[in-house]
Amino acid sequence: MKTLIFLSLFLIMSVLPVYAFSDAYALPSGSIGYVHTMKGAVSILRKGNVVQAAVGTPLYSGDLVRTEKPGAAGIVLIDNTTFSLGPNSELALTDYVFNPKEGQFSLVAKMAKGTFSYLSGLIEKLAPNSVKLGTPDATIAIRGTKLLIVVPG
Amino acid sequence: MRYITGLLLFCILLVLLGCAPQNRIILVPDPDGHVGKAEVATRAGTEVLDKEDAMTTVSSPSAKPTQVVKADPAFISKTFSEVLAVEPKPLVKFILYFEKGTTNLLPESVAQIDKILDVIKERNALNIAVEGNTDSSGSAALNDKLAADRADMVRDLLVSKGVNTDLISVYSYGQGNPLVPTPDNVSEPRNRRVEVIIH
Repeated sequence: MKTLIFLSLFLIMSVLPVYAFSDAYALPSGSIGYVHTMKGAVSILRKGNVVQAAVGTPLYSGDLVRTEKPGAAGIVLIDNTTFSLGPNSELALTDYVFNPKEGQFSLVAKMAKGTFSYLSGLIEKLAPNSVKLGTPDATIAIRGTKLLIVVPG
Repeated sequence: MRYITGLLLFCILLVLLGCAPQNRIILVPDPDGHVGKAEVATRAGTEVLDKEDAMTTVSSPSAKPTQVVKADPAFISKTFSEVLAVEPKPLVKFILYFEKGTTNLLPESVAQIDKILDVIKERNALNIAVEGNTDSSGSAALNDKLAADRADMVRDLLVSKGVNTDLISVYSYGQGNPLVPTPDNVSEPRNRRVEVIIH
């Protein structure tokens, strides 16, 4: 009987990691969005570590998304704000909070270099003043909905 | 001689300024054709973009953004071709409505479920957000729970119809994300809803 319990425990344990891997696209709690489309090499600088991105890779507040040349990425945040990056581009997702239940909102992002498109999401509708976009030289207050931005590197 | 040196320095400065990296910001129509508005600001001033393809250029944090011009379509397609090619497809959104204070879908919303399944299949969806909401009648705490229950119900319904549960992210916004803004304690059928957003 004991052996049976051990055996079943072992079986459950061995199945769990596989399940975790098959979970690739579900957004883990605390994540703020994910890489939706990609070309070439895309990496994420997160707390000093470099993570190679793939389609479905979750994003977190504070991430720096970087594309190589050739490379491009489309990212979708949980309020449906969308950023797309051309080659040789850097986008800092400095601060992001989307919590309509508590009325807490923040989207602070800096387009450090490269080419970008930005498409407004819900956060801009619910709390327009919480959205702060910037380039190295300017700040952008946006009231909907789509912008193209180029920042020579 | 001094005059010539001065002139030379001035020319070099001009060239350097000309080479200064210029940030360009262009307002373009969204996928629905809607043109919004943006204010581009530096320490020295602000320019407002409010027309299709309106563009301003910024060359330093202490310089005023240039006067707004209409961006050349050839410049846009040349500069942004790779960005535009990688843009995620516009999302598809369905709104399902509920009977007051319950997780019971209204009949016309039940009829939407098959359409939702079709779109998920046809787009080979990567992420499906299921977002629960309530109107503002009743306490915020109860509404948080009701919104979560509504979203869970829709997630379970989709999964029972064969949607991979790993693709679904469930959110609950309580009464904090009304479709139709109202004061507190207002019964509003259009806010009793779950939004299913398919990417």
